[in-house]
Amino acid sequence: MADRFTLKKYSTSRFFDSTLMLTVILLIIFGLVVLYSVSSYEASVTFNDPTYYFRKQAISTVVGLVVMFVVAITPYRLWERFWGLAYIFAMGLLFLIIPFGYEANGAKRWLRFMGTSIQPAEVAKLAIIISLAHIVCRLGNAITTWKGFFIAVGSSVPMVIAIYVITRNLSSAIIVFGIAFIMCFVVSTDYKKFVLMTLFGAAVTALMVYVVVQNKGAAMGFRGERILAWLDPNAYASGKGFQTLQALYAIGSGGMFGKGIGQSMQKLGFLPEAQNDMIFSIICEELGFFGALCVIALFLMLLWRCMVTVNNATDMFGALLVVGFMGHIAIQVILNIAVVTNTIPNTGISLPFISYGGSSVVALLFEVGLVFSVQRGITVRDS
Amino acid sequence: MNEPYQQRPFTTPMKKKLVVLFVIVLLLFVCLIYRLYAITRDNGQQYKKQVLSQQKYDSVTIPFRRGSILDTNGNILATSEKVYTVILDSVLLSSDEDAIEPTFAALRSEFGIDTAKVRDYFEQNKETSRYYILAKKLPYENIQNFIAMQSEPDSKIKGIWFEEEYQRLYPGNSLACDVLGFTTADDVGSYGLEEYYNDVLSGTPGREYGFMNEEGTLERTTISAEDGNSIVTTIDANLQAMVEKYLKKFNDEYENNFHTGNGANNLGCIIMDVNSGEILAMASYPDFNLNDTRNKEALIGMTMLDDNGNKVIDEETGDKVYITEENVNTIEGDALYQNYNALWKNFCISDAYEPGSVSKPLTVASAIECGAIKGNESYNCEGKLEVGGHEIKCHNTYGDGILTVAEGIERSCNVCMMYVAQAEGVKNFTNFQHIFNMGLKTNIDLAGEARTASLIYSADNMRSSELATCSFGQGYNCTMIQMIAAFSSLINGGYYYEPHLVKKVINSSGATVENIEPRLLKQTISRDTSDMIISMCNNVVTGEHGTGKTARPAGYIIGGKTGTAETLPRKNNEYVVSFLGYAPVDDPQIAIYVVVDRPNVRYQDDAKFATRIVRSILTEALPYLGIFMTEELSDKERAELDELKIEITTPVKTEEELLEEGTENAENTEEIQSVPDEASQGPGEIWKTFEIDPETGYAVDPNTGEFVDPETGATIGGSFSDEGEETPDENNGIKEITYDENGSVVEKQPR
Repeated sequence: MADRFTLKKYSTSRFFDSTLMLTVILLIIFGLVVLYSVSSYEASVTFNDPTYYFRKQAISTVVGLVVMFVVAITPYRLWERFWGLAYIFAMGLLFLIIPFGYEANGAKRWLRFMGTSIQPAEVAKLAIIISLAHIVCRLGNAITTWKGFFIAVGSSVPMVIAIYVITRNLSSAIIVFGIAFIMCFVVSTDYKKFVLMTLFGAAVTALMVYVVVQNKGAAMGFRGERILAWLDPNAYASGKGFQTLQALYAIGSGGMFGKGIGQSMQKLGFLPEAQNDMIFSIICEELGFFGALCVIALFLMLLWRCMVTVNNATDMFGALLVVGFMGHIAIQVILNIAVVTNTIPNTGISLPFISYGGSSVVALLFEVGLVFSVQRGITVRDS
Repeated sequence: MNEPYQQRPFTTPMKKKLVVLFVIVLLLFVCLIYRLYAITRDNGQQYKKQVLSQQKYDSVTIPFRRGSILDTNGNILATSEKVYTVILDSVLLSSDEDAIEPTFAALRSEFGIDTAKVRDYFEQNKETSRYYILAKKLPYENIQNFIAMQSEPDSKIKGIWFEEEYQRLYPGNSLACDVLGFTTADDVGSYGLEEYYNDVLSGTPGREYGFMNEEGTLERTTISAEDGNSIVTTIDANLQAMVEKYLKKFNDEYENNFHTGNGANNLGCIIMDVNSGEILAMASYPDFNLNDTRNKEALIGMTMLDDNGNKVIDEETGDKVYITEENVNTIEGDALYQNYNALWKNFCISDAYEPGSVSKPLTVASAIECGAIKGNESYNCEGKLEVGGHEIKCHNTYGDGILTVAEGIERSCNVCMMYVAQAEGVKNFTNFQHIFNMGLKTNIDLAGEARTASLIYSADNMRSSELATCSFGQGYNCTMIQMIAAFSSLINGGYYYEPHLVKKVINSSGATVENIEPRLLKQTISRDTSDMIISMCNNVVTGEHGTGKTARPAGYIIGGKTGTAETLPRKNNEYVVSFLGYAPVDDPQIAIYVVVDRPNVRYQDDAKFATRIVRSILTEALPYLGIFMTEELSDKERAELDELKIEITTPVKTEEELLEEGTENAENTEEIQSVPDEASQGPGEIWKTFEIDPETGYAVDPNTGEFVDPETGATIGGSFSDEGEETPDENNGIKEITYDENGSVVEKQPR
């Protein structure tokens, strides 16, 4: 009752972004529909229950929506006090994986707590946004110096290393680093550092690819094979190129308008991880190129509303929270689509709000809650 | 904590950078959208097909069982047996470390598989291979132990499964090989009944597949295979075996006799029910093992063919080259298929040749039927006759003197036949050839029957000399099946039946699908004419001067006609000899036709090569067919039958009858034995005064030095013609040619 009262009380004078709300709700509902369509076959084969993945995801979504609501009505500045705690809590969860983590699909990335499994890497993404927002605010103008910049970006490095070393999850490590990098980019007034760093990163990547191609045939880790499979998926059709090829088959066979929802053939056991990292290719197959455009448009709308929020934020901490969320969404969506279209080598990145994963959806809705909370600080001028 | 930084605003430069960030993100999205569009545009169609083709992996074809081929008594001539292919799923096996050793141990003990090799393969491919064939075509007995081991509750065997298929089996191996034909690897019939009845024998393959039902869950459905129908043939396996035994015996006797190679280029035999057209036995030699059709050893002894199917001629000697153990492995490529085709084809229906004198009853029957002669005329044979500017000889160039038509048949007189044919004329002759189905297919239910339309004369292109030679079966070609079908109509009262091999089609559970009744096509001649022909043909075997005496089996009287035809080119001492007979004489039930194509001897023109085979076959076959003996047996014949363990069914006669017949028999024997002494019997029989050559047993003409048959006066190695034969078609002659339905030369190359 109190919550409702609060909302009503401020609804006339405070900024409430109904467009953002609608976009998020659409993404969630769309995500659940697609997830059910994609996973029902796999679920009925594996668990003899076509709704297995759908039910679990629906429960997580409800939990996430409750979390979003609570976070939205909580003044966001409260979180600044817990910036250090958030960082330590996330690191602690990561380290707990070493003794208590359990394996699934050959990777040890999950913790089981009171019957629910948690992916600490998703918590880490949220934690880095909160702690880095504080650190950058505190650095102030010092962020423009090399020293200040390294302190800001460097603060994410222990977490990045922990994620990579403990969970062997390169994608999550890259995302956490990427969020930090984008937050620093936005607050720094210059471009030089970032252009240099981007060029350096590109050079290192190109060199790695070159080395891998030169040593083709020699024994190398699975990442090396993934790079070779990326360059020529047909040559590795039965090995590392299999998933990529099947994803491409799904996208290509969908055509302009798709086969219709529920009509995918590739989800019938051909495309591994269809309900996870590869869900976008099934969207393409069932809804076609235009369906994919609609999904991308929803994400762009989300980013657009975030940018509006940032530009109207009352203080820098709030603005940076939203920038972090923007970075998180932009990086994951771009990398996910790049992977399924074989634009970059295959690495496991989920599509926000749509891919299966409870921790991910709760963490994302927590971040959406932060955005609403920041918006509540904005006072609408009478027109 | 520190108030100032908390109150810091988000500055305008930061807002600008945020816009830059947004624009960068937007650009990246545009790139990705283009990429999606490009994939759909460039590879859409290809990927669509790819996705559909992958779906097929989900469905499995279930093989059907090809129908069996049974003999008239239900004995199996060809059948299909379920066999199993053993498959290793390396991925599944590698998922359980504990299962690897027990699985390999079981493979070794149950199937005797070399596990070292399989282990190597498994170690290298355990992440990808799901289908590796370990053993093929194992019968169920060989796998049932393994299946029992696999299904034990604590079994440690994993990743092994069995794929079912059917294998065609021929329990008789080479029995009726030319009639049955065989199947290729994909269960499609080749040659013979297997090819002709392929659609009947084939079933419909079943499918097992998965699909999504309305609730989006996967269901598996099995449409079971529909087995093929079986056919019941008119072939009697026992009779067939008898026929093949004696053809083989002839071959063994004359193999490598005069030259290297088989006892004859081809041997063929058909036994037919004259009152229904049912084929009771049909065989030819060389034969082959139906379970091992590509065994080159079966080719040994045949004439070698080149890539185009022509006979290979030795360049030095000018002789035909025969396939031997030494040169059999040099045959390759197209030539190998030509030689296999020659082996696999059915001589009885696929090869056309000049029939020779066995066609004389057809000539006489047609002349009587059209009213040109009455059958009691007499003609004077002077050993030759000049027709249309050609001098055409008789077998006996010394002349048989005055002969009735019946005697002309008995002695196989060419001159007599030429007079008969002249009496009826070209129009009647060619008309009756058509009535007797010469030049037409018999439409027997076998694949590969030759078309002979271009190998006979029509009324337009037949001149008097051709009419003359055709009267005794030279100058036109026919197949064995055409000749026996036509001849059967002469001796059964004039009814021409379509020869056939299948009398019933039954389904996989044994119920009759279709009964195939005998097909009476036409009446060729009247019953009166038929009776006259029978009495004439009886004389060929029983008459004093009969050419077919040696065909008579112990205890029976049969009728028939011998044939000795010169092949093309004339005068190269190559002949096709034959005997076309029937039994019993008073009411013919079966006809038998044996053709010996160029026996492997120095002097080929002796019908005894064929009559002896007929005698051997009928000696066993007639008692088997339940035809009772009518004749007294000599001690020698009794001994012969005892050796063959044949029940003697000669009717027991009263003493009176025995006395009467005893005197008759004594007379007969005396007559036959005293033939050489009665040189003065007729003015024409001058050859009976010739001296006998002790080596060959032939009489020698003191004027020419030629060998002469001491009984018939026929010149050995003689030719009816002094000049080259003109034929309506250059293929006319004994060329082994096979035609398909369209009349083009068949060049079969089964996969």
